[in-house]
Amino acid sequence: MSPVAENYFGISGYAIFWILFVVAIVLFLQRAYLLVRFLKLGQPENRFDHLGYRITNMLIVTISQWCNLRTVKKNDLAGIGHSFMFWGFCLFLLSYFIFIGFGGGLGFDRLITNTTFEKVYSSILDIAALLILISLLWAAIRRYILKSPRLRGHTGAEAGIILSLVGSLMLLHILIEGFYLAGTDSASVWPPVGAALAKTLNGIPQNTALTVYKGLWWVHYLVILGFLVFIPRSKHLHILASSINVGLKSLTPKGVLTAIDINNKDNLGISKIQDFSWKDLLDGYACTVCGRCNVTCPAQLSGKPLSPRDLILNLKGYLFEIGPSLIKNNATALLSETATASANHGKTLIGNVVSEEAIWACTTCRACQEVCPSSNEQMNKIIGMRRHLQMVAMTETAEDPLKNLWTRGNPWRGTLYSRTDWAEGLDIKIVGEDSNIDTLFWVGCTGALEDRSLKVVQALAKLMKQAGMNFGILGEEETCCGDPSRRLGAEHQFQMLAGNNIQILQSYNIKKIVTACPHCFNTLKNEYPQLGGHFEVIHHSQLLAELFKDHKLNIPQRRDCKVTYHESCYLGRYNNIFDPPRQVLSSIPGLNLVEMEKNRKDGFCCGGGGGRILLEEKIGQRISEMRLGQALETKAEIVATACPFCLQMFEDAAKAKEVEESLKIKDIAELIAEATDVSGDPKC
Amino acid sequence: MKNIIVCMKQVIDPESPISLFHIDSVTNRAIPPKSTPPVMSPFDENALEAALKIKDTEEAKVTVISMGRKLARAVVRLNLAAGADELILLEDDSFDDFNTYFTANVIAQAIKEIGIYDLILCGIQAADTNAGQVGTGIANFLGIPCITIARKIELSGDKAIVERALPDGFEVAEVQAPVVITTSYEIGKLRRPGAEGFMTAGKKPMTVWNSQQLGITTGTIGQVSIRQVYQPTHENRCEMIDGVSPEEKAIKLAIKLKEAKAI
Repeated sequence: MSPVAENYFGISGYAIFWILFVVAIVLFLQRAYLLVRFLKLGQPENRFDHLGYRITNMLIVTISQWCNLRTVKKNDLAGIGHSFMFWGFCLFLLSYFIFIGFGGGLGFDRLITNTTFEKVYSSILDIAALLILISLLWAAIRRYILKSPRLRGHTGAEAGIILSLVGSLMLLHILIEGFYLAGTDSASVWPPVGAALAKTLNGIPQNTALTVYKGLWWVHYLVILGFLVFIPRSKHLHILASSINVGLKSLTPKGVLTAIDINNKDNLGISKIQDFSWKDLLDGYACTVCGRCNVTCPAQLSGKPLSPRDLILNLKGYLFEIGPSLIKNNATALLSETATASANHGKTLIGNVVSEEAIWACTTCRACQEVCPSSNEQMNKIIGMRRHLQMVAMTETAEDPLKNLWTRGNPWRGTLYSRTDWAEGLDIKIVGEDSNIDTLFWVGCTGALEDRSLKVVQALAKLMKQAGMNFGILGEEETCCGDPSRRLGAEHQFQMLAGNNIQILQSYNIKKIVTACPHCFNTLKNEYPQLGGHFEVIHHSQLLAELFKDHKLNIPQRRDCKVTYHESCYLGRYNNIFDPPRQVLSSIPGLNLVEMEKNRKDGFCCGGGGGRILLEEKIGQRISEMRLGQALETKAEIVATACPFCLQMFEDAAKAKEVEESLKIKDIAELIAEATDVSGDPKC
Repeated sequence: MKNIIVCMKQVIDPESPISLFHIDSVTNRAIPPKSTPPVMSPFDENALEAALKIKDTEEAKVTVISMGRKLARAVVRLNLAAGADELILLEDDSFDDFNTYFTANVIAQAIKEIGIYDLILCGIQAADTNAGQVGTGIANFLGIPCITIARKIELSGDKAIVERALPDGFEVAEVQAPVVITTSYEIGKLRRPGAEGFMTAGKKPMTVWNSQQLGITTGTIGQVSIRQVYQPTHENRCEMIDGVSPEEKAIKLAIKLKEAKAI
């Protein structure tokens, strides 16, 4: 018989049940309402397109726990533990509705008790409870004894409460079963754990056992309700927000930053909490504090003051701190920075909540977003704050390269070359003089103007000629694609540069573009459409792979050397181009391609993305040297790259590490050009 | 409100790659490279920054005057984007970059035309000719004082208090406006355009005057003839000294250096 059906001190169990329930629900909704009002402080953003896909994706990713499992590695198995806990949680949640809600509170106990369904379900729960207890123990050991690097710098107090709450629910479940069986049918063997416990309770009188059972049942019910009240007030808010966030993830290509109207003075980047979109704020709710982002972030790992985890958490903390007074003052996004700050005792977003150093430390490598199980988005937040610093606050950071972009259309101040010096003697068409071409070779500022990269574009041009392609260059008419401007926050400069380039490209009726720079590639391909420039853009790794496939390029001889390929973030993670560069390298007979431990989606940044190549790296270890260290571990003789920034970063790192003799840094185009040269050295 | 006029020369990018730099031996003129756009003379950028610094703290109108045969609009507009309020372009085919006396005369004429001015700021020299005469020349034609190589300018009523950079320190001068001041680099690099400046640049007034409109008769004032402009040639040779031991190498090196009269 259900304990709800009895009277306690003259009060009906049902009344107690429902009063407690209503109190808990009210407390839950009160908090949920506040959380929604906090979100409404943010800017509008439409994340409700493709609803069918969004919902399906959310359900599949959450229920399968792919969000956690996809990042499980040999040395990080916590995702498996989480999955068991999640599936167990689902089983128990359902059971609470059936046994406690339907059976207890609604009084349909007789429909359930002693049915096969009950026997089977409670046996499953019984075993699940045991497994969950083991998982919890593992989680506690990992968190408090082994101290996983992911959790570094974050106090585990809240997690401790949650672990104990869940643990007590499981223990109570088993105890309730044990005492119930001890008081009713001690001979039963199902559910196994409860039955085993009942056997040990054999000596207790049946009545006592039943009284204890009833007491524990109510305690259990209270803990469940407590859990309900606690969830929206803790980091376990993610139980509600993470799946929603997964469903609301950005569906635009990864390499596209949000465009803003630079004519709108009130919308020039992010300088206060209300400048974030509501989805940005929801990210805080969704954060599980798992720290996967922290252990993959090159800035964090190299000792810089950026933690992609704490970025999200600090924003959430700030929102919770300042939110109530903003709501009270009826603060909209129009509320000035000073008013926002005074509402929060002078604490400003940039400076107090997120340091400028942290904002500039990001290489926009996107590793943090790639591993986040909750689909949180750090890039737009960081770039949003950079936009404010560059367009409104006029920070000194990146002043020189950006000024050079204004006056000279390239970020390489002091270059010794013109845009066409590299092409001298190669007989390359310049579109302004002869526009009869099939493909435009977009050389890029670094390719044309930076000493080391000249050799790469020369090699590629030679290969394209060898393959009989009809291509040309813009020559002096080419200016920066705008990637550094945009990633450094100078959105107005980006829109100017991109606008000019689109005009020029369209005036020559350019349809197809090939480039050797992943940054140009990403910007031309993914971001120019925002401004009306639609072109077919391919990266030279794709082009070379295609030329080999079509037998337009052949390698006449073996080249015995060990090569490791370094993933460019903007090629790999951003644009999913993982195989073409590897296929290109594998076309060289004899070449032994070895992988670094961090490759493909896990690839470790060279430190040059997000405009970082133009800034000094003053804090912590050099990211490029860390990555080169990883390359050295493979014992390769050559590090192959497909990006002029990576190339330049590693050339510098090799000099700093004094390994430039033993470890060569080459672009894939150079390696192919060398290999097609019969007179070349068959060795490395 | 203070009226500040900044004189801004457009020059061949002094940082443009050496491979792009050619001299026409007949006309004795540097041929502007097609590939790199001209830039504002970096010295004059300091002058604009000085004006904008004043505008940061008090109400001021900054007018930029630029003079040349043909001025690239995208380049002059950067002045407005950086924060200047108005642009006056003195454009005429007869204008000559090298005739500084003439240049000062034309600019002074334009300033008279503008009529109201408290401060006239120039860079200490132009990045192409490095003559450094236009600022003082303007002062001369306008009959007003001139202070050169300012590293700091403060306005106090109708006076300007100017810190003038010296090789071993600085001196402070106080002068009654209107005055011409030439600025040193210490006054600060020109700020880059923020979004608001960039967006409003196109809406700010830009006027073009030619020599006729200014009432200038060209070809008569302070003619300068250039006899020769040439690129110096630098030759580097590297000779490796062989020797069995470091000592032997050192002795051989010493002999070589002595022969070359380097020691």
